[in-house]
Amino acid sequence: MRISEHPILSFRQNKEVHFTFDGKEVTGYEGDTIVSALHALGIWKLSESPVHRRPRGLFCAIGHCSSCLMRVNGVPNVRSCVTPIEEGMVVESQNPRGDLYDHV
Amino acid sequence: MITCDLLVIGGGPAGISAAVAAGKAGLKVLLLEERERLGGQLTKQTHRFFGSVAERAGTRGIAIIKDLETVVAQLENVEISLSTTALGIYEDGVSTALKSGKMIKIKPKAIVVATGAFEKFLPFENNDLPGVYGAGAVQTLMNIYGVLPARRILMIGSGNIGLIVSYQLVQAGAEVVGVIEASPKIGGYLVHASKIRRLGIPIYPSCTIKKAFGQDRVVGAELVRLDEKWKEIPGSQFTVDCDAICLAVGLNPLIDLLGQSGCQFKYIPELGGQVPIRDESMRTNVPHLYIAGDLSSIEEATAALLEGELAGLSAAKQIRPGQSLEARMEEVKTHLRALRSGPVGEKIRSGLSKLTGEALPTPSPRTNAIDELSRTGIASPANLAGVLPDEKRKKTRAYAVIECYQQIPCDPCVHNCPFGAIKPFSDINDLPIVDFDLCTGCGQCIGRCPGLAIFTVDETRDGDRAKITLPYEFLPKPVREETVDLLDRSGKCVGQGVVKSVLNTPKQDKTTIVTVEIHRNLVQDVRQIRVVQKS
Repeated sequence: MRISEHPILSFRQNKEVHFTFDGKEVTGYEGDTIVSALHALGIWKLSESPVHRRPRGLFCAIGHCSSCLMRVNGVPNVRSCVTPIEEGMVVESQNPRGDLYDHV
Repeated sequence: MITCDLLVIGGGPAGISAAVAAGKAGLKVLLLEERERLGGQLTKQTHRFFGSVAERAGTRGIAIIKDLETVVAQLENVEISLSTTALGIYEDGVSTALKSGKMIKIKPKAIVVATGAFEKFLPFENNDLPGVYGAGAVQTLMNIYGVLPARRILMIGSGNIGLIVSYQLVQAGAEVVGVIEASPKIGGYLVHASKIRRLGIPIYPSCTIKKAFGQDRVVGAELVRLDEKWKEIPGSQFTVDCDAICLAVGLNPLIDLLGQSGCQFKYIPELGGQVPIRDESMRTNVPHLYIAGDLSSIEEATAALLEGELAGLSAAKQIRPGQSLEARMEEVKTHLRALRSGPVGEKIRSGLSKLTGEALPTPSPRTNAIDELSRTGIASPANLAGVLPDEKRKKTRAYAVIECYQQIPCDPCVHNCPFGAIKPFSDINDLPIVDFDLCTGCGQCIGRCPGLAIFTVDETRDGDRAKITLPYEFLPKPVREETVDLLDRSGKCVGQGVVKSVLNTPKQDKTTIVTVEIHRNLVQDVRQIRVVQKS
């Protein structure tokens, strides 16, 4: 959910950016990270854990905890909390885990 | 290979401050920041800062960082490299970083590392569910990206971060279902606690979280009371409905990068865990390697700014000897000592003494009668009695009520009174004392108090009407002649009043000063207003 008005801050409505999440077309705004755009759409579950397949969401938002790793444009283990969205980006949950060798 | 005098790793308050200090001393500086923007955690601190007016206390963090960014951008000898991740600090003095997918090598004469800190985690069942956030993540989502992480949030931890983020969540339009605290006392500044109590947010001391409920996301939590030995009290479990759990249980310094450099560490819980060993000038055991900010010890941003400057100056002194930088270095050290000198700096002082053996002066012991207050965040009648004028004075003129009962390093009120009615401090941790012979109740101090703890009362008129003036930082803003709900210190609605004035000029910087006409009997109870939502 986006904050429409705030007593201290003002948020500029930037240009729309279109990308896909698990095959579905979604929209964020310029300046969003993958996670902020997905959160604004009410999407909290980003991936599943490798062994027990438990849901994984955002935790630290500074790129240090590995909870938000996703497959972006085919590249696994991208930190979605610090990666800005780009037009046409393909974002996917990585279930159960990303394999580097299937990319290189 | 890029060469420079000083490499600064981390573009938060400490890093920028170091780059500015070294840049002004004539050094060729390269400042690396991992993200697309400078500012670190300071870019989302919407509250006014405590500390000394000399260090910009009373100003919002977002304004402080904006000014600092302008200063650093104007220094031609400071190069800023954004979206650049430092990868390694090698023993031969070469550092590596990743920029636009390429590795770059840097050979500086000295390095300041200011990588900041990382949120601590807490063990409880289902703590890995989506909806369990670090407090920093919640702040980032709402204050940087303008995205509300959830609607009903449970806050774990009543330190300054937990209290501040709770307040900010309400400003952003969310509901905070409660703040729980394992200790019997509130951890953060009590003025912050009072701010959220009067919004109606409960604080549960001696309480911890057992588990989170939910399948794909958090839908609630089970909490349990703790006894005086921090053991769970059997049968005291209770549940709350919430769609997010925010962890504000402390920070650990981000030492990973430094670990490669040969820097030595020591485990000092008071400073945040494993911290680099350093001297009072922020120099580590590795020659030409300095640190600053949360990486050196978990503290307020003001300390980070000062430490950054100190590290920058130390590096400049070492690389370009002969400059007269010592005087400013000593001044910064004095400010840092003052900041840490009061009762709330005790933990840091004991941590630092373990680290450097430096003996910091301990202030003469003073007792704060704040037991009830430090448990609840609500001032007692005894607290209040100590800050009010006598009955005769109440009738003659309006007066300020400063509900600041805890010694914290903060002095904007003293410097903002146009009549000099708040007695000058001998120590930055002094409690404000109003000279009611000089106070006119003008209210200039209200919006300048970082704790939003100052109110003015006017009960000079005959009859049952009186006026209270208070700070207000929420939406919608009230308008003149509007009837608003009156809330007491616990957020309970105790009546209604009519708004008589709304001051909201740029000078107030978004802390609206509202005067409300209320019943005389309520002047010492009402501490918050609520605009009645029109349906």
